[in-house]
Amino acid sequence: MKLRLLPIIGLALLPLGAHAAEKLRVVTSIETLKSLTEAVGGDEVDAQSLSHGYQDPHFVEAKPSYVVTLSRADLLIHVGLELEIGWLPNLVVGSRNAKIQPGESGNLDISTAIDVMEVPKVKVDRGMGDIHPRGNPHFWVPPVQGLKIARAITERLKELRPEKAAYFAARFADFVTELKRRAPAWSAQSAKLKGLKVVTYHKSWVYVSSWLGIDEIGYVENKPGIQPDPQHLAQLVNLMKAENVKIILIEDFYNRGTADMIADHAGARVLEMPSDVGATPDIKTYFDLVGAVLSRLTNAVAQAG
Amino acid sequence: MTNSALRFLLVLVSLSISGVAAAADEAKQTPPPDKSASVSEPAPAKDDLTQQLEQVLEAPAPASSPAAQSRAPSGPGNQSMNPDVSVILDATGGFQRHALMRLAGDDPDLGGALHLHGGGVNLQEAEVAFQSVIDPYLRADVFLTIPNLGGIEVEEAYVTSTGLPGGLQIKAGVFRSAIGRQNGQHLHVQDFTLRPLINAAYLGDDGLRPAGIQISWLVPVPFYLLLFGEAFSVAPPDNTNAFSSFGGGNRADLTYTAGIKTFAPLSESVSLAVGIGGLSGLTAGVSRAEVASQANLAGATSVLFADRHTLVGSGDIYLKWKPTNVAGGYYSLAWQTEYFVRRTGADTTNTLGAQIDGGIYSQLVFQFARRWFLGVRFDALGLPASTIQGRQTRESASLTLAPSEFSRIRLYGEHEDPGAQSTTASGSNYAAMLQLEVAMGAHGAHAF
Repeated sequence: MKLRLLPIIGLALLPLGAHAAEKLRVVTSIETLKSLTEAVGGDEVDAQSLSHGYQDPHFVEAKPSYVVTLSRADLLIHVGLELEIGWLPNLVVGSRNAKIQPGESGNLDISTAIDVMEVPKVKVDRGMGDIHPRGNPHFWVPPVQGLKIARAITERLKELRPEKAAYFAARFADFVTELKRRAPAWSAQSAKLKGLKVVTYHKSWVYVSSWLGIDEIGYVENKPGIQPDPQHLAQLVNLMKAENVKIILIEDFYNRGTADMIADHAGARVLEMPSDVGATPDIKTYFDLVGAVLSRLTNAVAQAG
Repeated sequence: MTNSALRFLLVLVSLSISGVAAAADEAKQTPPPDKSASVSEPAPAKDDLTQQLEQVLEAPAPASSPAAQSRAPSGPGNQSMNPDVSVILDATGGFQRHALMRLAGDDPDLGGALHLHGGGVNLQEAEVAFQSVIDPYLRADVFLTIPNLGGIEVEEAYVTSTGLPGGLQIKAGVFRSAIGRQNGQHLHVQDFTLRPLINAAYLGDDGLRPAGIQISWLVPVPFYLLLFGEAFSVAPPDNTNAFSSFGGGNRADLTYTAGIKTFAPLSESVSLAVGIGGLSGLTAGVSRAEVASQANLAGATSVLFADRHTLVGSGDIYLKWKPTNVAGGYYSLAWQTEYFVRRTGADTTNTLGAQIDGGIYSQLVFQFARRWFLGVRFDALGLPASTIQGRQTRESASLTLAPSEFSRIRLYGEHEDPGAQSTTASGSNYAAMLQLEVAMGAHGAHAF
């Protein structure tokens, strides 16, 4: 009987709790989401990323220290599409933080804000490698995606801090302005990349390729997450020679060994690419990331041509 | 000039479209967008990207409510309310000189006896798991196992609270005690084919996983500090051939545990986890015939130390080096050691004094290639030795090939010296095994 009063008491205490914390504590799974949160959240958020840009986001050590970080979070923003399935779910349960459990307003699966590519149309199984059954999760680099992500984060921040809605909206408007200021130059760069033929290591550049009109001829990993077999690599070398592919894209957190070997045989070069904010110390914001991806590609094309 | 004015207008339009008319109040505070002086005049025609960005801004934003966001992922398969189901199989074959000295519940049983070879193939374990969130307050996890083609066992079946305030969490049901490091882990996260000897010797035949309740508290300090306390009803062991720390008395004679777990990221690539704990309960005792020094004791009862109070202390340490990415190669190194010490109350009936004994294992696992792991381990029981636990040692090595995250092939070899005490094996013993492990279905994340 007396238990019925508990929610009422809880409700009465709620405003106290909400005002006690000044900044909204946001924890993100990758640094790009942290950068976008800071862009639209400004002084009203204290954002922290669990993984670093120079780490493979599939394989992050589920360190108990992350549990401590998550236990204090008001909002968890993650990529979704099972990118973080190997490490994040246990941390979220272990955090004992009711606010960030799946389905709560403090848990934002940012993949819901974008149009997902490569959603399997057939029944998938692990014979196809370590695939993502809900679609390709490597979506955050293209500016259109960045815009959608920033907008979804803005909406969620407004929902969690309605009294700061105008502030977040203004920050988002600034973000859009900055994005548009840079758009003409980015477009000029991307025009040079249209039709560029590449091989990528992991199947993680499809969104970038789609944006830039890059033609992905093949992949070093023929099955995601599985070490490629020699037969596939031999075929890939032949394909690259036939199609005159001069560039192999690889994220800077992977081991280059196999890619270097292919490049040697096919007369191509391996291009280490940043895929997240923080991949290198000079990539501090989302804008830096887009700029770095474009300049590495255009430089490589200029050198090849 | 007209161009930048037009763009300013566009920004305003997009602002109102995204439903932020309120922003007008603060418009004066926001920096004026795009000083035209600082940019070169763009071409009159809008570039592709600008057009795409504007298209996004014109389209309505997708629903942002948590219900729409998190509970309705794309794809019909994900709408199901079925629990996550997974099956893990461990098939093991090999040869052993004699029966091994102290098998844990999920160790492979290849038969053999005191002076008889063992060998052949066995299904070491089949595990079926069902895991699901129950409601906004609880989640449940059920693990059913069939070890060595025997009967079905409820390895774990428990509910966990998800919504308690203050960093508290309650777990209730049948579950693996949080004591030590490897006791909480299932077979498929072990680095060796057989469990460490201390698991069966100090916690119970299949470790400590009885019915009970656990309350744990994530202490609100800047580092990871977890306190836990547990109360269990330990069922009596199937037999008293081996000494069991707990399971004496009746179900109302609870076994209590308490412990602390802490973690320190020493650097980005080096992590240290340390735990200490204590357990208190009643022992089921051990058959007199199993204790060499007492086997012929005249006038003694058939079971020694039955229902005496036992106290066990535990300490564990785990140190792991793993670079944050694999650009420099696929390497990692992990060192893990646990020590248990036990005091068993005096058996006055048989004029046996209180016994103090302990056991340890220490292991090192080195990943030397993308798919290859090499492990060495040393086990010792009887440190110090007592009447009920003499000195026994084991050295083992494992070489593991993991073709993918979901399969493992492991070569395991060991040498063991059961000492003078055991009647289930005699003299120096050795074994070699090949273990195949596969996981199907939902791939749950693993604890650190």
